[in-house]
Amino acid sequence: MADRRTRSMKSSNLSRTAVNRASMIALQLQGESSKLLELYRQKESFPADVTDGRLVSVPPPSSQLDTRDKLWRLHSALLQTQSLLERAITKEEEELGGGIKGEYENQRKTVKGRLSFLLLTTGNLLKAVDGAASLTPSLEGLELDGPTTLFQLKLWLLQVFSEVHHWSRAAVTTLQELLTNAADKQSSTTRVRSTRSARR
Amino acid sequence: MSVKELTISWFGGAASTFDLIILRTEFNTSVFYVRTQHFGRHEWKWTSAEPLECTSLSVRIRSRDGLATSEWSKINTFRGRDLPSINTLQMYPQDRVVEVGSNMTFCCIVEEGKTFKEMLYGNTIMNVTRLSRRSYATTLVNVEPTGVSGSNIVCRLKDLSLTGAVMFVGYPPLPSDFVCETQDLKSAECHWKEARDSHLTGERRRTRYSVNSRNCNVDSQLTCRLPLWDGNWTLMAENSLGHYSLSDSAELIHRVRPVAPVNLSSIANAWNATVIWQWTYESYFTLDLNCQVESTNHESKTLHVFSGVGLRSVKLSGLHPDQAYTVRVRCGDQKYFWKWGDWSQTFSFKTQTDVPDPPDVWMWMNKDRTGLVVWKQPLVLSKPVFTNNGFFLFWQQNATNTCNYLVEWLDTSCEHDCPVKWIRVAAGSTNVSIESGMPGMQAFTKGLFCPSDSPQLIKRWQGYTQELVPSRSVPLSVKSQDSKVVITWGEIPLSDRRGFVLGYNVYISNGSELALLANLSSSEMRRYVVKGLSVGNYKFTVKSYTSAGEDTGSTASITLEPFTDALILEMLGALGTITILLIIVTFICYKKRNWVKKAFYPDIPEPKLPGDWSRLQGPLDVRPSPHSMVHIVEKPERDFNKETLVVIPEEEEYFEKDEPVDTDEPMSLRYYNQVVDDRPIRPRFPGSSASSASSLDSGHTDVTYTGIQTSGSSLVFQPDPQGSSEEQPPEVVRYDGGYKPQMHPKVLSDDVVLKSSNPFQESEAASSVGYKPQCSWHLDSPTDTAETGSLAPSLGSPTSVASTQFLLPDGDGDEKNKQQPSSAAATWFSNLLLSSKP
Repeated sequence: MADRRTRSMKSSNLSRTAVNRASMIALQLQGESSKLLELYRQKESFPADVTDGRLVSVPPPSSQLDTRDKLWRLHSALLQTQSLLERAITKEEEELGGGIKGEYENQRKTVKGRLSFLLLTTGNLLKAVDGAASLTPSLEGLELDGPTTLFQLKLWLLQVFSEVHHWSRAAVTTLQELLTNAADKQSSTTRVRSTRSARR
Repeated sequence: MSVKELTISWFGGAASTFDLIILRTEFNTSVFYVRTQHFGRHEWKWTSAEPLECTSLSVRIRSRDGLATSEWSKINTFRGRDLPSINTLQMYPQDRVVEVGSNMTFCCIVEEGKTFKEMLYGNTIMNVTRLSRRSYATTLVNVEPTGVSGSNIVCRLKDLSLTGAVMFVGYPPLPSDFVCETQDLKSAECHWKEARDSHLTGERRRTRYSVNSRNCNVDSQLTCRLPLWDGNWTLMAENSLGHYSLSDSAELIHRVRPVAPVNLSSIANAWNATVIWQWTYESYFTLDLNCQVESTNHESKTLHVFSGVGLRSVKLSGLHPDQAYTVRVRCGDQKYFWKWGDWSQTFSFKTQTDVPDPPDVWMWMNKDRTGLVVWKQPLVLSKPVFTNNGFFLFWQQNATNTCNYLVEWLDTSCEHDCPVKWIRVAAGSTNVSIESGMPGMQAFTKGLFCPSDSPQLIKRWQGYTQELVPSRSVPLSVKSQDSKVVITWGEIPLSDRRGFVLGYNVYISNGSELALLANLSSSEMRRYVVKGLSVGNYKFTVKSYTSAGEDTGSTASITLEPFTDALILEMLGALGTITILLIIVTFICYKKRNWVKKAFYPDIPEPKLPGDWSRLQGPLDVRPSPHSMVHIVEKPERDFNKETLVVIPEEEEYFEKDEPVDTDEPMSLRYYNQVVDDRPIRPRFPGSSASSASSLDSGHTDVTYTGIQTSGSSLVFQPDPQGSSEEQPPEVVRYDGGYKPQMHPKVLSDDVVLKSSNPFQESEAASSVGYKPQCSWHLDSPTDTAETGSLAPSLGSPTSVASTQFLLPDGDGDEKNKQQPSSAAATWFSNLLLSSKP
């Protein structure tokens, strides 16, 4: 309980502005990763309904999670996504790269940069609620032992880009929730104070 | 790796002909049937259209002998990957690289229980052949080159699951233009191109290159560097679809492509600039180079070409003052030019400002009374050949001129509104003869260039039918410069030359004749300097001459003044020498002051006086020594024929005595010893005052003295206006004071004598009772003034009284001023001695 209480106290340290800023970055990443996915599908002529499995492993979402846990889950997922994306880019260049810097390659670079920025922002949010919290991404299960053929590699790349897009959406959702909760808490606190003031 | 070739071998006994059939196992459909003859070892290689993994194949063989056949052998099955035990979604072949235009068959093996939907090539749904229950195949015919990451063949199932394969379609390598060259004159750098894109990307599929079996790390540029110049090279290019080789061979000196010059700098002048650069390799210093310097000024580019061994600097001419230029340099081997080297980095500089020379102006008058003023750099004046047919003019053909030439000429003697004659000459002509009745003429040839309205002057001539002497002389000017005479003259106007001026003769006027000083055989030399002339008046004449002779000449004169500066210098030099001598004498005198003192200023022995005289203070009355006694002849007119001066015989005797003379003397002198003024002055002769006074009253009519030691003021001669007689008491000499030094500016004259009784004189005489240096020398009587003059110094001796001062003679009144400096010098010198006295 003490731990819980501490967490709750720290959660109040979250800056609404910082959360809002992180939310905006996540929103940008969502759009950019969506475009990257589209470019990749066009490039590889993949049907739009190609099924994509999950590569990132985090605890399932739950309404029971508090702000810190939600942030931790999001940050952990984004860390894994970043690791996947960097490896994907390296592998793609190595196996399929032609040294060309077209629209797809530029978009890929943009998404990579934005994801790093979002990670930095969510890391700061996490520090705000949990002190000097430092997460090291667990790359367990992310090893590329599956794609032995180029087609599998291409599918894996598709999955990675899909993961980036998925977790960018998840980041938008989570951060929006945090913003909503913060607004609710502020309004309830105001109401309680008003009531107490009225009683006095 | 998918395989498509199946090797079938069997034992057939004695039979030599066999029937071979290949069936897809599941559907038992025939894929291949062949009748073949085999001897010895029975083997058959069959290439399947589909990868062998696609489905299981059954092979059966029977022998044949004519129409008779054996039974089919047992089925030999080559198992595919569609076996029930392999229940996965599969696609074959994977990652295949094929050449453009090939046919390619892919198969998809679906999982058990799953339903195949389609196969896609890109976005194209392919025709599919079912090979087995789970295996489906499609064939791509005449495949096109693929993109960067290859092409995907996708197999989709009804449940939207999919698999696929990536295919790269491209070409084998096809390199071209393989050459090796050197930049450092030591190593080789080989270049080549790819005639076509292989379309094979990725580390595993890209083309690999090697030169002489050395692997080349090729990135974006197809270049391979070798440390040494081998002379022969073989390029091997290889990728998944094949390989290709090219060869090259050359000597090093034939393949030099210089590096770009570095560290450009410049030395800019107004009209040109020197551009300097450096080479990276020292081996370039001996390389015969051909270099291009591209200069850019206001977006106008000019290419300059230079050559030289180890070229490192060039001079760009034709630049304009105060302009910014940007230059870059590249070079090539001059002897065995291979390629231009790389351009250097650009370098900018600015030319200096300049004041241009006055332009050569030429005016052309058109028919419509409009004028055309043309100016350009001076053209060399040519001399035409004159023959009986007139002047023969010729010029160089200008390739760019497509229009006629115009030759015009006029009389050289004409100055204004000159009538001009002209002739048109065809464009291709290079000469013309013109007749001229003029003794002298000027001609101009102008090219009429078609695109231009204004004619361009091509050549100028000046010629004479017969040369005459100039009708006018040169404008002459002469001036002195230090000790030299500079003669300059101007040109004779063209209208007055009447011939080619060959030179000038310079003459100097020697009375009525002209003496030739110099012959200047150039019309450009118009200055001559005459040296070594003494002071005086000189006339110079300059005559120009043509082949016909001299003109009348121009004459100018000059008077040479003494060189005042030299005189001033001489005077300064003399003054300096005198100053130095004085300093040296002073120094020597100072060093030898004891000797000088002894020689010129011996110590005065102090008298030893008996008794106590110390209480006496005041002026010392000195009785003159006997030799100082003056006997003044009271009546000179009486004995004019007699000698007026008689030497007293006792003088010598007395002079040798050290003891002072006794008191019975006619006069006494008072003086202060200024040298020993610190000490109390002790009178030498007690009671001499009285005796002196009495002596004043004693009269003598004859003057006899051996020396004078009296100042003018103290020794006054009063002539008797009534003419004295022997009976009259002598009152000739009156001592109104004591001894006075000769520094007194007294001039003995009648007036002065008469005024000597005035109060001022008396008071002065009364007060000046001390001794003063005998710097002045006065005549004894006015009558002697005229006679003695310069003789006065010979009178008397300075030894009459004890004195620390020299007795310096004084001249007459006229020479008094001249004596003053020497008196001052004497005073200075005495002061020096005094100061040095111990």
